[in-house]
Amino acid sequence: MSADACKGKPLIRLEGISKHFGKVRANHDITLDIRAGRIKALLGENGAGKSTLMSVLAGRLQPDAGRILLGGNPVFFRSPRDAHQAGIGMVYQHFMLIDSMSVADNVLLGQEKSLTLNPRDMQRRVAELARRYGLDVDPAAKIGTLSMGERQRVEILKLLCRESRLLIFDEPTAVLTPGEARRLFVSMRSMAEQGKAIVFISHKLPEVLEISDEISILRRGEVVDGFERANVPGEAELARRMLGRDLSLNSGPEAAHVAAPANAPASISRADPAEAVLPGLEEEIPPPVPEPRPMGWLGTDRQLSLEAAIYNRSQRAGENGQPEAEPAVPGDGNLNIEGVKRRGRGKLVAETEPVLALAGVNCRVPDSAGLTDIALSVAKGQILAILGVAGNGQKELVEIICGLRRADSGRVSILGRDVREFHANQPSRGGLGYIPEDRRGSAACPDLNLVDNFLLTTRKLFSRWGIMDYKRARQVTRRVISEHNVQPDDSKVLARALSGGNLQKLIVGRELVRNPRCIVAENPTQGLDVAATEEVWQRLRVARETSGVLLVTGDLNEGLTLADYLAVMYRGRIVDIFSIHNQAKVEQIGLMMAGAIAARQDAYGGQGCAPDPAGD
Amino acid sequence: MEVEKTFIELLLPYILALAPALAAAVSTGTPILFATLGELVTERGGVLNLGVEGMMMVGSLAAFVICYHTGSPWFGLLCGGAAAMAMSALHGLVCMVFQGSQVVSGLALTIFGVGVANYLGTPYIQQKAEGFTTFSIPLLSSIPLLGRVFFQQDAMVYLSYLLPFLLWFLLRRTRFGLALRASGENPEAVRAAGISPFKMRWASILLGGFLVGLGGAYLALAFMRMWADNLVAGRGWIAVALVIFAFWRPGRAVLGVYLFAGVTAYLFRVQALGVPIPSSIMAMLPYVMTLLVLFVSSLRGKGSGAPADLGNNFKVGD
Amino acid sequence: MNGWQLIRRTEPREWGSVAVFATAFAVSLAICALLLQVQGHNGAGGVWLLLKGGFGHVYSYGEILLKAIPIFLCSLGVALCFRLQVWNIGAEGQYVIGTLGGCWFVLNFPGLPAWLVLPGTLAAAMLSGGIWAGLAALLRQRWGMNEIISTLMLNYIGIEILNHLIYGSWRDPAAMNQAVGPYFPPAAVIGRIWDSDFWLKHGVSEGTADFFFQFFGRAHWGVLSCILAGLLCSFLLRKSRLGYEITAAGSNPRAARTAGISYNRLVILVMFLCGALAGLAGFQECSANLERLEPNIVMGYGYTAVVVAWLARLRIMRIALFTLVLAGLRFGVENIEQDLQISHAFANTLEGIILITVLAGQLFNDYKISRKGRPAASGATGGEERGS
Repeated sequence: MSADACKGKPLIRLEGISKHFGKVRANHDITLDIRAGRIKALLGENGAGKSTLMSVLAGRLQPDAGRILLGGNPVFFRSPRDAHQAGIGMVYQHFMLIDSMSVADNVLLGQEKSLTLNPRDMQRRVAELARRYGLDVDPAAKIGTLSMGERQRVEILKLLCRESRLLIFDEPTAVLTPGEARRLFVSMRSMAEQGKAIVFISHKLPEVLEISDEISILRRGEVVDGFERANVPGEAELARRMLGRDLSLNSGPEAAHVAAPANAPASISRADPAEAVLPGLEEEIPPPVPEPRPMGWLGTDRQLSLEAAIYNRSQRAGENGQPEAEPAVPGDGNLNIEGVKRRGRGKLVAETEPVLALAGVNCRVPDSAGLTDIALSVAKGQILAILGVAGNGQKELVEIICGLRRADSGRVSILGRDVREFHANQPSRGGLGYIPEDRRGSAACPDLNLVDNFLLTTRKLFSRWGIMDYKRARQVTRRVISEHNVQPDDSKVLARALSGGNLQKLIVGRELVRNPRCIVAENPTQGLDVAATEEVWQRLRVARETSGVLLVTGDLNEGLTLADYLAVMYRGRIVDIFSIHNQAKVEQIGLMMAGAIAARQDAYGGQGCAPDPAGD
Repeated sequence: MEVEKTFIELLLPYILALAPALAAAVSTGTPILFATLGELVTERGGVLNLGVEGMMMVGSLAAFVICYHTGSPWFGLLCGGAAAMAMSALHGLVCMVFQGSQVVSGLALTIFGVGVANYLGTPYIQQKAEGFTTFSIPLLSSIPLLGRVFFQQDAMVYLSYLLPFLLWFLLRRTRFGLALRASGENPEAVRAAGISPFKMRWASILLGGFLVGLGGAYLALAFMRMWADNLVAGRGWIAVALVIFAFWRPGRAVLGVYLFAGVTAYLFRVQALGVPIPSSIMAMLPYVMTLLVLFVSSLRGKGSGAPADLGNNFKVGD
Repeated sequence: MNGWQLIRRTEPREWGSVAVFATAFAVSLAICALLLQVQGHNGAGGVWLLLKGGFGHVYSYGEILLKAIPIFLCSLGVALCFRLQVWNIGAEGQYVIGTLGGCWFVLNFPGLPAWLVLPGTLAAAMLSGGIWAGLAALLRQRWGMNEIISTLMLNYIGIEILNHLIYGSWRDPAAMNQAVGPYFPPAAVIGRIWDSDFWLKHGVSEGTADFFFQFFGRAHWGVLSCILAGLLCSFLLRKSRLGYEITAAGSNPRAARTAGISYNRLVILVMFLCGALAGLAGFQECSANLERLEPNIVMGYGYTAVVVAWLARLRIMRIALFTLVLAGLRFGVENIEQDLQISHAFANTLEGIILITVLAGQLFNDYKISRKGRPAASGATGGEERGS
C-alpha cells in the first residue's frame, strides 16, 4: 500500500509553520504531510521542536506563521477543542485521566451524546471500541487501579472514541515496559490499517525503525530530512542526521528494542573498557568535544540504544587516553589511603564499610506493590543504579532511605547507623545527600530566592545556637551558583525563575556542599537538556570518589553510563544485582525490567550487592 | 425485677422523647441539608467555598425581606436563593477570574455576608413574616409515628427529601454531572476532552450557591419565621463540616445532617425533661457536635473521597 | 480570557502593591458608601464621617492605639500560622480562653505578692491561649482535621465557656444584675500610658494632663508587649533557624519535609505561639480596659486580626500599618454607629469588603497581564523541562 498511499492527497499538511518563544526558535518554516493509514515518525533530540510542532497541530499553541491544511482546506485551531473537532487527537506523556472515575467515564467524558448516562451501556460501548483496536482494558475499572500501559490505552480509546482521524503519540513508550510497548505497536498498526493517520514522536531509533512507515527528522526546529520506509538509511545514518554531527555508530545486526537488548553485538561485551573501543571506529570519533560536554550528544538521546551507551563508555575511556583503571581524579589520594585499589571501572575492591546498607526490607503500601525483601549495599566509590520502570517500588525505597517513610521490617543503615537514628540526628556535614526526582515539588521552594533554596538542606551548616548566618550563606550560594554555572547567576532571584536544568544544578550543588558520604539521586537528569545532563553526570562521577551513590533511574542509558553496579527492580523486588561488566546480565536487563525474569531466589543476607569478579 | 422496672420507668420518658426529637430534627436539619448539598455540589466541581455562613445569612435576609414585603414565601425563597447565588458569584469572580485564594475568599465572604446581612437587617429585627405552612401528605402521614414526623411538614421539607435523589441523579447519571465531577478531579483532563472546566466550575459555584441560599431562606421563612441578628449562627460552618463527613456524597450528607440534627434535638428534649444540663453547655452543643462530626470523618484518613483538585485555581485562558 | 493571558511574576512587586492596596481600599469605601445609601443615609457623607471620626481627631489616636494592641498581637500570631499555610482563624477563641486563664489566676491567687501577680496572670493567659490553639494544631496534625472549621468551632465554644463562667461561678454577686466578674486587685491591672489621676496627684496642671490625655486616651502599657512581640517575631523570622524553617515549610511543606524539617512540630509550635499571643492580647484588654471580666470582652478582634494577617502577609511593619488602619476604621465605624444609628455589624462588612477587594487586586501583584500571542517579556520560561 505504501507506494500508492503516499502519492495520494495528504490528510493534513503543515505548511511553513514557525513558532518562537521569546528568543528561542522552536519551529522554523516546517512543512509536513501526514497521510491516512500511515505511521509517521517525528525523530529528533529533546528540544528539536517535535512537541511544539505537535502542540501547534493539536491546537494547544498557535503558530507565529504558517498554516494547517486539512484535506486541502486551511484551518485555524484556536484551542485543542478546534483540533478535536477536526479529528486531531494527541496522547500526551502525562496522561489526562481522572483517577477516581471508571475507564468508561474517562473515555466518554465530553463524548456522550445523550443528556443522561447509562453506565452499563457506556461500558459496553467502550468495550466494543477497545476490542476493535485490540486495546484490552476493563471499562468498569477505576483508572487509579490501572497500570501505566492500561492508562495509555484509555488515553488512546478517548481519541478513538471521538473518531479522531489523526492520532499523535508523544514519546508513548517512555512509561511502558518493553512488553507493553510491543502491544502498543501492534495496536498502532491496527489503527493505521483501519485508516487512521498516526504521528509517532520519539528519539529512540530502534522503535522508529520498527514501527514507522515514514520518518521525518527535526533538528533545531527545522525538518532536515524525510524518508519513506523503503529507503530509510541505517540507524547510524539516522542518528547522524538527527544529531547533525558526523558521528558514526556501529549498529547491531538488527536494531534491538531499547529495553530488551537481547541481541546486542557481542563485540562490545568485552570487559576491559580500554579495549572496548570498537575496531574501525577510532578514526571516526571526533576529537573530544571541549568541556563541559565531552559526550553531550549521548545525553541528548539518552535512550538512543544500548549500543550507544556502551559505545559511549568506551569513547570516554579512549578520551582519557588511558584505561579508566587509573582515574585521574583529585580525590584519588583518599582512596589509596583507605587501602582501596581500583581495578577496572567500578571494580572497587573496597575494605570500606558500606555507606548504605539495606537488608530484608519490607514495606507494604496501599495501591502499590510496596517493597519485598530488599537487600542492597553501596560502598564509598561506587554508584549503584536501580533500574526499573517507574512505579515498581523505587519511590518507596528512596523514601525509606531518606527517612520519609518507615519500613515494616528489615534493617536500613546509613553510614553504619540505623536510618531512624541517623535522620533524627543527621550530621550537618558528611551525611546523606538527596537529589529528589520531583525537583520543583520536593527539592525547592519556588517562591523563595536562591539563597533560601540553597539553605533548605544546608541550613545547619550556617547556623549556630539557632541563629542563621545569612551573610556567609549568601557568599557560599553565590560561589555554588558560579561553580555550577547556574543561570541566572543572581542569588536574589526566585527559584521559580530557574529552568529545570539550572534548578537541578543548584540542587546538586547544594547537596554536594555538605560533602555527603552517601548520595541518593532519583532520576537526576530527567527532562534536562544535553549540557545540563552532562554536567549533572560529571558531578556525580566526581562525587563518587568521596561517597557512595545510589542512583535511581528509569533511563537505562543513564544507568549504563554512570553505574558500577546495576540493580533491577520489578514489583517491589530487586530482580538482580550485578556488575556493569557482567555482560550476560546486562543483556537481560530489559527482560528483568519487564518481570520476565523472576527475582533471584538466593539469600542476599549481609553481602548485599556482592561484586562478582567476572568483570575483570 | 423491681429495680429493673424502675429503671425502665426512668428511661421511658427519654425514649419517648425520641419521636418529637426526630420531628424537630427534620425541621432543624432541613436548612443545614440544603446548605450541605449546595456546598457539596460546589466542592464536587472543585471549588472550596467557605463562605456558606455568609451566603446563608444573605440568603435568609433576602428571603425574609422579600417575603415580609410581598407576603409570598415562594418568591422570598427564590430571592433568597438568588441572593446567595450572587454571593457565590462574587466568590467565583475572586477565585476564578482574579485568581484569589479560595480559602481567603470564602472567609472574606463569610465576614462580609454576616456583616452586611446584620447591617441591612437591623430594621427588621423581631419582625415576623408569613412563612411556609405545613400540610400533611395523605396516606403517608398516617403511618404510625413516622408519618407525623416526616409527612406533616412544609413544602420545603418535602423538597429536601427529593433533593438528594435529584442531586445524585444529576451528578451520577447525567452528562453534565460527569463533566462537573471531572472538573473537580482533573480540570486539565476536562479541557482535553473539549469541555470548559471553567464553565463547569462556574456552574457548580452558582448551583451550589443557590441551594445554600434556599437553606438560608428556609431558616428565615419556615424555621424562625422572623428576623434576628446572626440568624444563621454557625449553621453554615456545620454544613461545611458535614460535606467532609459525607465524603462528598449526597446520600451520606442526608445521613449526616439528620444524625447531627437528631442528636442535637434529642439533647434539647432531654434537657427539657429536667436533666440539669447548663444552658451554656447546650448552646455549645452544635459546635461540639461539629467538631465531633469532623473528628469522626477524619478518622477515615485525610480527605478521603475529596475531589482531587478541590481548592486549586487554574489559570484562566490558555 | 480571550486574547489575554496571565504570566506569573518572578519578582515581587514593591510599589505596585501599594497602589493595589490603595485602590482596593478606595473601592471598599465606595461600596460602603453605597451600603449607607441603601439604608437611606448620605453615603459619601457617611464615609467622610467615618474617616474623620477614625483618623481625623487628636483623640482618635489614643483610641486607635487601644484597639491596635489586641489586633496587632493576634494578627502577629495568625500571620505566623498563615505563613505555614495553617488557616488558623481561631484567634478570637484563643483570645477569650487566654482572658479566662488570666482571670482564673487573678481570682485564685489573691495572696500573691504584688510584683508576681501581673507576670503570673500574663503567663497564665498565654499558656491557656496557647493550649487552646495547640488543641486545634494537634487535631490537625494527628488526625488531619480541617483547622479552619475546628478553630472556628473552638471560637464559638470558647465564647460559650466564657458565658458559662460569667453567668455562673465567676459572677460577681456584688454587681447587681449584671453578669460580670469582680474587679481585679490593682496589682493585676495594667496601667494607662497617661494616667491623668496619677499625674494630677503629682502636681501636673489639669491643662497639661488633658493635653496628654488627648493623645494617649485609654491606651495602656500593653503597647510595650506589642513592641516586644514585634521585635521578637522579627528576629525569629529574619535571624533564627526556626524562622527560616517556618518560611521554608510554609513555602513548600513537601520540600521542607524532604529536607528533614519537621512540619508537624512547626505547626504545633506556631499555633501555640499564636494562641499565646492572642491570649496575652485578651487578658491585657480585659485587665487594662475593663479591669474585670465582662462578656463584652468579645469584640471580634480575632477576626480583624485574620484580615490584617492576610493583608500584611507576615511583614511586621505591614502588620503594624494595617493594624492601625483597621483599628482606625473600626473606631470610625463606632463613631458613625452612634451618629447614624446603624448596626455595629457595619465594621465586619467593611472588613469583609476590604479583604475581598484586596484579594482580587492581588492578581495584579502576582501576575502580569499581557496580550495573548505576543511573546512574554520575561523569557525565563523558555525551553525548560521538556520544552520542545
